[in-house]
Amino acid sequence: MGEVHTGLLQNSGEVPESTCHELLNLLSGERVRVSRRPIVHAVSPDLLTGVDCRLPSASRSRIRGAGTVLSRSSITGGRVVQGSSHTRIERAGSDRRQPWSHYLARPGVVEVLGKVKARDLADGFAEEPPPDGLDLGAISARFMDVVQTSSLLDRRTPFKIARTKLRWVAEPGEPAITFTLRSDQMRTIRLVHQGEFTPGVVDLCEDLALHDWLLTSLLVIIERARIGGTSATETAVKLAPAVDHLLHLWMPMARVDDALIPFWESLDRRPGFTRQWQSMVDRVRDQLAVRTLAFLRETGGGKAQ
Amino acid sequence: MTSVNATFGEVTAERRVAATPLSHVSIELGHLYMEDFEAGPERLREQFRRVAPWAGAVRSSWQNRVPGGRARVSTCFLIDDYFSRFSTPAELVPMVLDAAAECDLTIDYLARESSCAESNGIELARLVEGRLVNDPPPDTNGSRPPVKESGWLCNGARSPQVGTVQAMGRTSPWAPPLQNAKRGHSIFVDVELWDERGGRRTWSCPFLAAVWQLLRLGLLRADGQVPLRPVPRGDGFPDDWESLPAIVQLNPAAAPFSAYTTLSVLSPRFLPVELAVRTILSQVAVDADVLRQVIARSGGEDIQLEEELVDRISYVFT
Repeated sequence: MGEVHTGLLQNSGEVPESTCHELLNLLSGERVRVSRRPIVHAVSPDLLTGVDCRLPSASRSRIRGAGTVLSRSSITGGRVVQGSSHTRIERAGSDRRQPWSHYLARPGVVEVLGKVKARDLADGFAEEPPPDGLDLGAISARFMDVVQTSSLLDRRTPFKIARTKLRWVAEPGEPAITFTLRSDQMRTIRLVHQGEFTPGVVDLCEDLALHDWLLTSLLVIIERARIGGTSATETAVKLAPAVDHLLHLWMPMARVDDALIPFWESLDRRPGFTRQWQSMVDRVRDQLAVRTLAFLRETGGGKAQ
Repeated sequence: MTSVNATFGEVTAERRVAATPLSHVSIELGHLYMEDFEAGPERLREQFRRVAPWAGAVRSSWQNRVPGGRARVSTCFLIDDYFSRFSTPAELVPMVLDAAAECDLTIDYLARESSCAESNGIELARLVEGRLVNDPPPDTNGSRPPVKESGWLCNGARSPQVGTVQAMGRTSPWAPPLQNAKRGHSIFVDVELWDERGGRRTWSCPFLAAVWQLLRLGLLRADGQVPLRPVPRGDGFPDDWESLPAIVQLNPAAAPFSAYTTLSVLSPRFLPVELAVRTILSQVAVDADVLRQVIARSGGEDIQLEEELVDRISYVFT
């Protein structure tokens, strides 16, 4: 299970790769990994956070777990920042809390002390986790904040946009994926994968979170532009940041494992992320084209006659 | 048209972790401080005489364990040049070697303690500090950043501060500290990792000893590379410590410096230090790729290594 927070990097423009390196250099002696194709994507080293607390449960049972959460920060296209945390829940061999070295030998695993039903746990996490229970959201938020509060950023964003949170649970079984918009900022994914859990599932959820954030942000920008409700110039001014900062970032499945691509594709069929994105992009471009034509008519139109 | 399987790779996107050669066991024959040196060569000989039978026992136990008796055993000796500087390599190293030889011991590698803090521009101690993942007390759910007392590390929850005034003007009574994984009763340990005076950080002896153990276990990497490799000895030994490599290989035929397991033969006066070392090492998150690498290698030799790295470290206090 995991939670990904996604937001706009607190900077006026796109940051270059070298700055990404500095922003994500969270652990000395470890390199920031960067892939440049098809879009620049930089990831911090994985870091661990120790937890010993109540775990989510739909039946509100008191389940205790101890272990570590794996987290990382990433920057895509020098523009979008993500804080992502996840952990695998496993049954402990014993009901008592082990020395800490036991848990550090299993990075990214939280062991359940006592009995637990996987379904109860997954339902509990996807619904409303208890406030005093495992808080992956807070950990992800910190991994996003560590980048956002860096002195390397000028904190002058071209537009204001809220961060989105995507909470996900993956279980083994017959492949299926359910994507739910729970509120303006909260989304959940229930994913059933064949065979063992792989880190590819985390990549998939981060990729989905990124594209969901892009869609959400573009929708908000179009809404704020009040197309048809205000002057064409004002609309164009409001739409411009989308062209400058967002439109080129749509690159679905760029880092998704081949075996997991069908999950993305099924969401792309219904509800059709790319279809909606494309229609909004067309709308933005049409609006700007209309505005350009009007502008040409106003300024240069006389000369042509 | 038939479909084509395309493969595209980017070096900067991949993680590469170098491997280091590994012995079966690394035996630390001694750790020399200024007071030992001042006590003269007889103190050294006495120590080596105590160590020799234990070193022999461990060697033969590994020989029995490994097919064909081909156990790879290396020995090392640590000299403190961090907390106090004394003598010179030219004077001291031959004296140590002679004393060991008199007890039929061969010192394969000699290391300087200051290299555990920093060497060749790599701050090993900082590297390890960055990898500390605090042992969480119960009800740590991630909602707040881990409580860290700057420069200290403990194995549980500290006592609340005594004497702080609560609402209604009552002062809070004393409450005991608690060990996280206690068995019945707590053994609470709080270790000082470093202190700073005038902007200069001094690492504590247990912290450097923890770095030393990690080096001997071959578990440290800097940018995916092995940070320190032994350098073969030259003809003589220099007159200042800086000119001596961090780890000198004295015996050209020695088995590799790093090993699956370590044994340190120490005087009982080091017991508190080693408890502190274990408290620190229990909270160091070694790179998962390096851990896998070592497990795969030992598995290839049919050696079942302990999962937890503190269990790969053993001691003889004599």
